[in-house]
Amino acid sequence: MSALKPVRAITAAQCGLISCETCKLLARPAHPEDPGHCPRCGGELEFRRRRSLQRTWALVIAAAVCYIPANMLPMMATTTFASSHADTIMGGVVYLFASGSWPLALIVLVASVMVPLGKLIALIYLLLSVQRGMPGACHQRARLYRMVELIGRWSMLDVFVVTFIVALVQLQPLMAVQPGPAVLFFAVVVVLTMIAAETFDPRLIWDSAANLENEDD
Amino acid sequence: MTDRNDHDALPQASVVRKKRTRISVVWIIPILAAVVAVGIAIQQYLSEGPTISIVFKTAVGIEAGKTFIKYKDVNIGQVTAVQLADDYSRVMVTAKIAKSAAGLMVEDAKFWVVEPRVSLSGVSGLGTLLSGNYIAFEAGKSGSSERSFTGLAVAPIITRDQLGRPFVLKAPHLGSLGIGSPVYYRRLQAGQVVGYNLSDDGNAVEIKVFVNAPYDKYVSPGTRFWNASGLDVSIGAGGVDVRTQSMAALIAGGVAFETPHFAPQAEPAAAHTEFTLYGDQLAAMAQAESVATRYVLYFKESLRGLSVGAPVTLLGLEGGSVTDVGLDLDPKTLELRGRVEVVAYPERLIASLSAAQKVANEAVATDGSRRQELIRRMIEERGLRAQLRSGSLLTGQLYVAFEYFPKAARVKVNWRGDPVELPVAPSTLPHLEQRVTSIMAKIDAMPLEAIGDELRQSMVALKRLLKDTDRAVRRIDADVTPELKKALEDFRRATVSADQMIRDTDATLLGPDAPGQQDLREALREVARAARSLRVLTDYLERHPEALVRGKN
Repeated sequence: MSALKPVRAITAAQCGLISCETCKLLARPAHPEDPGHCPRCGGELEFRRRRSLQRTWALVIAAAVCYIPANMLPMMATTTFASSHADTIMGGVVYLFASGSWPLALIVLVASVMVPLGKLIALIYLLLSVQRGMPGACHQRARLYRMVELIGRWSMLDVFVVTFIVALVQLQPLMAVQPGPAVLFFAVVVVLTMIAAETFDPRLIWDSAANLENEDD
Repeated sequence: MTDRNDHDALPQASVVRKKRTRISVVWIIPILAAVVAVGIAIQQYLSEGPTISIVFKTAVGIEAGKTFIKYKDVNIGQVTAVQLADDYSRVMVTAKIAKSAAGLMVEDAKFWVVEPRVSLSGVSGLGTLLSGNYIAFEAGKSGSSERSFTGLAVAPIITRDQLGRPFVLKAPHLGSLGIGSPVYYRRLQAGQVVGYNLSDDGNAVEIKVFVNAPYDKYVSPGTRFWNASGLDVSIGAGGVDVRTQSMAALIAGGVAFETPHFAPQAEPAAAHTEFTLYGDQLAAMAQAESVATRYVLYFKESLRGLSVGAPVTLLGLEGGSVTDVGLDLDPKTLELRGRVEVVAYPERLIASLSAAQKVANEAVATDGSRRQELIRRMIEERGLRAQLRSGSLLTGQLYVAFEYFPKAARVKVNWRGDPVELPVAPSTLPHLEQRVTSIMAKIDAMPLEAIGDELRQSMVALKRLLKDTDRAVRRIDADVTPELKKALEDFRRATVSADQMIRDTDATLLGPDAPGQQDLREALREVARAARSLRVLTDYLERHPEALVRGKN
């Protein structure tokens, strides 16, 4: 961990400079309050992502709200000629576990329940830590952020599976599968958390660390 | 810190003025999400029906999450849990009812499990073979809502919206009836047996039947119900009559009803009216006699074959029945007599009179003293007597016949007896039994043993005779045959010579040149000539008959 100790370094912002987020060109801002656009690529310049915390909070809360119906409502309604029943995500996990295929149950549990939940918790933790100006564990937080960003794009697996099954299993009147309302909410959760991860500015993590160092100095 | 002047060479960013808002628009997203989620929650809550619990004896085929509750084949709920009741004796089924059916959950609503059932009267619930058992629901009439119910063991046969009326039938025994047994009206299925129970005193069975509309309006207070189970075969003069309501009734039993033509016209019977269930159609449709007179008859002959219920006839027309068959013992003389009590229905005989006479005799039928006077005259003046007769040669059944016996000895009827004793005549037609008995007696009387003895003796004699014959034949064989042979040879020789002789005779007599032939021809010619002269003579004599006296001149 010694290699990952916070590096004592000045930031561009401390120097009154600004780095383009798109082409990474270091430029002088046009005005401290309104930095303007990148002279090379034309991208909007910002010292830090504008209202990053507020936006991320909004998206995270929206995702958290949608996460509740995503888990409460049925994900998939299976209609066989004998019966018809709807399954929630947890119902499916329980069914898989009860029928003996616990590895599958574990996969579904991890991919569909724990990952979105973990993402939400991770984002909330990052937001809180930045807001409170928590100094320590910057490296861990940075790694956590990278993980959230990486996992985000794989979380749509559930939605893909459901849409595939719905499209394939249409053996009327023997069997038919209909998507439940939870699919929509689940997709919304995934999309919102992805956007939230994008909106969050990881530089804020280091800002608080830098501020602390400066105070130390 | 780095020198700021170094950056002067860097390009200057341009400024674009932008309207700024304090609160980010992005907050619309969580608000929208919350609104949608809350909306769904409210909708879910509002569409949520009541949760009810039903207690069943067993949970055959009921599965949480799979078993539906259906009313008129429409899903109105789903079983959410199946667990044992607190005392482990029954099963508690918890079900979620759809909001739209919440109003149906009233006190007297019924629940029962529908499973495939195959019975004699039909197959039901076949659909459940594929879909699994389900809980059927029948709405009640009560107004107060209820959340816990007790499930029925069997499906109720009559649903609430089925039009018709229930009736109660009293029968000495249940017979082959059961719940669901059909009720027929003119061989149309008009209803069903819905239940039965022993009457409170244990002497009868009360059978509840439900007669569907529109057949229920044919049930009036005068309607007769009878047990139509099984086969009713009667053999009459018109042939064999087989009656059954249907194959189902044949196997599963059934009840039929009809209103007899003599029943008074009446309004349809009220629901739950009590009726008697008769054993068969004949008994049910028999007309109750308003005037019945009882008489007693004493017979000296065997009463075997005379049973209670045997008909009493007048000139072969049924006018009553035997009510009792018993014995009568004279304590002094120890004389035994057969006592037969009969009941006579004068109305029935009046009914068989022609229309013109009917009116006149109606009074006779109903007025006791006039009827008595009529019968007295019939007995004393015309010799009306009762007689036992054989109704059937096959079964030996007897019946009582009243007929005039003009030669019968005059009797006085004692009208003060109760019941009045009527005179009888001895049976004239010998009964089959008696006839057979007399034949047997005759056979018994035959000297069979003597006949047998004689036969045996004859046989011995015959045997001896045969032996003698045998011996004679053998002797003939030994002694006579050689001589016979010789005799035959002689005979043949004689025949041969006879043959020869005949041939010679042929030659002498029949040959064309045979001298015999010549002579014969000559002689015949002579005869012809003689005949001619005779004719001439007779001609002459005819013309000159006097020549006989005077001679030929």
